[in-house]
Amino acid sequence: MKGGRWMLVPGLAAGTCLLALPPGASAEVSDADFNALKETVRKLSDQVQSLTQTNLLVQQQHEKDLQQLKELQAKLAQTQQTAADAEQKSAAAVEAQSQPPLRAPLDEATVNHNFQILGDAEVQYVNTDHQNGSFVLADFAPIFLYRGGDNILFEAGFDATLQNNAPNSPGYTTSFNLSFAQLDYVMNDYMTLCAGELLLPLGTYAERNAGWLNKFPDDPLAVDALLPESGVGAELRGAVPFGDAGKFLNYSAFLVNGPGSADGTGNAGSLDLGGNVGVRSDGVVANLHNAPAGGGRLGLFVPFKPRYDLELGISGEVSEWDNAGSHLWAAGVLDAALHLGPNFEAKWQYMLTRYGSDDLGLIRQQGWYAQVSYKLAGLNLELPGINNLELVGRYDNLANGYDSGSGIFYGARRYSIGTIYYLTSALLLEGDYEFINSRDASLPSTQLILQISYGF
Amino acid sequence: MNTFKPLRARVQVTFAVLGAVLTGGGLAFTLCAAEPLSNSQAANTNSAPAQTNSATNPVPSVVKPQLTGAELYSIHCNRCHAERYPTERTAAQWKTIMLHMQVRANLPVKQARLILQYLQDNSGR
Repeated sequence: MKGGRWMLVPGLAAGTCLLALPPGASAEVSDADFNALKETVRKLSDQVQSLTQTNLLVQQQHEKDLQQLKELQAKLAQTQQTAADAEQKSAAAVEAQSQPPLRAPLDEATVNHNFQILGDAEVQYVNTDHQNGSFVLADFAPIFLYRGGDNILFEAGFDATLQNNAPNSPGYTTSFNLSFAQLDYVMNDYMTLCAGELLLPLGTYAERNAGWLNKFPDDPLAVDALLPESGVGAELRGAVPFGDAGKFLNYSAFLVNGPGSADGTGNAGSLDLGGNVGVRSDGVVANLHNAPAGGGRLGLFVPFKPRYDLELGISGEVSEWDNAGSHLWAAGVLDAALHLGPNFEAKWQYMLTRYGSDDLGLIRQQGWYAQVSYKLAGLNLELPGINNLELVGRYDNLANGYDSGSGIFYGARRYSIGTIYYLTSALLLEGDYEFINSRDASLPSTQLILQISYGF
Repeated sequence: MNTFKPLRARVQVTFAVLGAVLTGGGLAFTLCAAEPLSNSQAANTNSAPAQTNSATNPVPSVVKPQLTGAELYSIHCNRCHAERYPTERTAAQWKTIMLHMQVRANLPVKQARLILQYLQDNSGR
């Protein structure tokens, strides 16, 4: 249609030229015909001009249409994209609603806090001479640990034991004692601050005597009789390595409330090693005597091969003990531990105490124990079960110990032999037989103790 | 009580002599020993119970400038209790336990860190 219009324009121009030829070149034309033809040409020229203008308008309209088309196409693409996005979001929302929220994986090695329960449990069968043999829940001793960050630890240990009620009172009593509860703050590589009810570093026994750690079911006589196991106070401790073979020196220095007097007097039998916790029975917060106790331990550890090592320590504590503060109590302890290979261990500890009294003057007490053990795995015998067996022996004595039951001072010597069978590295069957020689009638002369203990 | 006095005397002397020999011998052995430790033994600690691996722990001979975590684990843990396998606890649990043991046994902090690294690297998770 558009092309036809363009063909019409040259045709009309050619016709106009022919009509404009001189009269001599064609036949004679009258004026009337000429004017008519002229009028016709004028009309045709007007028509051509009108058509040209129309064509221009049509072209402009066409360009506008093209522009609108492009804009519509762009809008369509945008709308399609929006629709696709909406569809995608909708699908994601549906999926999120149908699945549990994603959790970031936990890096176990770097978690900033952790709560844990460790501990041990022991059940015994005890047969003492002149007594009926009996099963005993010797101890259930959980330890709660809470670590906050890299340098802070709270730890608390408990002991649960059972005991019959008094004669003519049926049933039994469950004792649940707090053996220690302390907050540890590692201040730097060489110093840790501990505060709370502390296991006292008088020798190493108090800190390392859990049932499954101790190779005998009971404690050495002098440890129980002469030394406080714990005290309420604060302690600085740390270790300084030297050399390149794992040697180190370690230290502990503590201030605690110290021993007290059971009845407030300075009589010798009133010494109470563990009863001064800072809050009196009437609720008043006060030490039972004027000054706190001070003490500490200095230790040397020398490994000369893996599993071959020697540890030596010297420790002590001094304190007032009676309410008037007129008498001092002091303790000195030497300890040693030796390992010769994975199968042989020897331990030794010497304890010496002195304290003044109103009625008996200066009381001197001392005692020591030596203990050796050997795992039969060292013999390389191919016999069933023998590699899990360990033989143990101990001698311990006590001079001038005080028996609060009978109110007398006594001496005692004890020889113990026994075995340990390791069902696993943490589940032990222990058995030992003890010979006791003492003036204290409350102590048996022989005793058999069988124990199953588990460390967890 | 008096029936075993002769036995008591003999046992007492035996214990005293044994204790003196062990302590004195250990001291002498320690003071004379100049050989540093190596990691040849500690590698065994992850594969056998403490009470049965005596035959697999030869005397080390390689001189090393610094002890590894495995060696320190072998040195320290067995002093007080039978060793626990690294796989018994998770890495986070070992971190808490080692902080407890560092304080309780009064170990040098740097040595405790190396032991912890060894336990975590071989932990149950």
